[in-house]
Amino acid sequence: MIPREGASASVEQDYEALLQFLYMAPVGLAQLARGGEIVLINPLCAQLLMPLATRGDLANLFTVLEGVAPDLAHRARAFAPLHGKVCDAMHIQAHAGKPGHDPQILSLTLLKLDADRFMAVLDDVTLSVKRDRELRHSQAWIHSISSGIFDVNYALMSLDSRGIVRGWNVGIRNLSGFEADATVGRSYANFYPEGDMLGHRVVERLREADQTGWSLEEGWLRRSNGERYWGSGLIAPVEAATEVPEADRTYSLVIRDISERREADEALRRSVWSDHLTGLANRRAFFDAASAAAQRCTHTGQPITIVLFDADHFKAVNDTHGHPAGDAVLRHLAAGLSATFKPTDVVARFGGEEFVVLLTGSSAAEARVTAERFRSHVAAKPVTVDGIQVPCTVSAGVASCTDGLSGIDELLRRADIALYAAKATGRNQVAVWDETLEQNGRAAPARASR
Amino acid sequence: MTQTVSIPFDAAPAEVSAFLHSASAADIDALGFGVIGFDAEGVVRRYNTHESRMAGLSLDRVVGHAFFTVVAPCMNNFMVAQRFEDTARDGGTLDETIDYVLTLRMRPAKVKLRLLADPAIALRHLFVQRQP
Repeated sequence: MIPREGASASVEQDYEALLQFLYMAPVGLAQLARGGEIVLINPLCAQLLMPLATRGDLANLFTVLEGVAPDLAHRARAFAPLHGKVCDAMHIQAHAGKPGHDPQILSLTLLKLDADRFMAVLDDVTLSVKRDRELRHSQAWIHSISSGIFDVNYALMSLDSRGIVRGWNVGIRNLSGFEADATVGRSYANFYPEGDMLGHRVVERLREADQTGWSLEEGWLRRSNGERYWGSGLIAPVEAATEVPEADRTYSLVIRDISERREADEALRRSVWSDHLTGLANRRAFFDAASAAAQRCTHTGQPITIVLFDADHFKAVNDTHGHPAGDAVLRHLAAGLSATFKPTDVVARFGGEEFVVLLTGSSAAEARVTAERFRSHVAAKPVTVDGIQVPCTVSAGVASCTDGLSGIDELLRRADIALYAAKATGRNQVAVWDETLEQNGRAAPARASR
Repeated sequence: MTQTVSIPFDAAPAEVSAFLHSASAADIDALGFGVIGFDAEGVVRRYNTHESRMAGLSLDRVVGHAFFTVVAPCMNNFMVAQRFEDTARDGGTLDETIDYVLTLRMRPAKVKLRLLADPAIALRHLFVQRQP
């Protein structure tokens, strides 16, 4: 008897130790049933998820994350192998961040164990993402100065306080084909395709370099023969901003041709920044673009406008025609939005059936006209899925600001209030935020009954 | 013979204060809901039987340990831990009941949490009531 009791006491102690091991694990773990239902979950996972759980429960992981990773359920359903990683350290942007706070970024790995079970690993990677970004910047900087300037892939030049190129060298010709007379005394905007580097942006990048020590941008550049190439442009101040008056400052500009690296980067960029189902930008890409736009807006006073679209009665589409039809409707709306808005506007999938468009330089009134065009187009043309016509309408909320001070979260909140007003007054319409809507407000649970 | 004193989860604030002031360990153990008391450093000083059973942890694994990091990291966010911090910083009392989800033995469990802090009482308290 005694050994048996001893054994059982030790099993109990082991069990308790194991329980505490999971209670204390510094990473979020959850086991899910086939449809995302949470069966087991450890505290850290709950800590990370609770602020996102708008319904206040942790019954289903896909539902809890629906607002921030809307394509998760689709990915899990579409994952054909019997076991394996559905997603691996996928970054999820939880919110836009408040002034002085970085946006929270979660990393999610979803492992399919068998036909009926998934295991999820969730971690807060906000700090490491920030560190990575800083490291990449410094590496680019060190790489640029330590690499041969006479390499055909690099050009180095100096700029004055307005971004005018002050001297020419053979490196500039090797890289871009531009001769001295087409370079000296002209803005460095000349190296970019027409319209890509507008006057205010030229100066903004110099100010950015003053403030942070550099300004680094990747994008399309152009050669003298009109050919485009993928490059990065690094601007660094020659003198410390505090020592020299603004008008006398000089900068160095290094342009690198990184076309070769681009394809690999592009594939990565697509997987990290785009929504799996629709191919649109995802929330993270949206918040990234939005915070950059908000920063620019504080300098330039240009308006930032946000339009939130939501498919009306979307649950009914899923219930009546099935999830594949619902997915087809979402893809249809995504394609329509991309075609309707300008290429410079950012169109992103924001939630389950919610889309967001970020417009810079357009007023609320202008955005409303475009949104209205899209709304009437959707209402007029049912989506055809497998020969069946699925009628669909959208509602939209528009909000705009010119000071950039209120921040993206505030702008989204206003657009959401306008969207709610559009829903409340019968759906299939576009509403623009104003103070009077604010008094009506909206109750958070209203989301569920769209 | 001493009779144990008892209060319900949603007892009036004055009743709760009076109870926490004078309750013995046996009184707190006899309650039908979980009670955790921790000091200003977040170290657990009180952990009643009910809570110990729900969580599956015995007292010696919890008492004397940091509550928000070792025992209940799930409450280390703006909804719970931050409320206690804010109250400590701003002064005044805290008595608020919120709906929450705990991971009792790794099962998600809906609970009501009552957050209690009062400068007149040395420990801060959390009452935990399981919901159906």
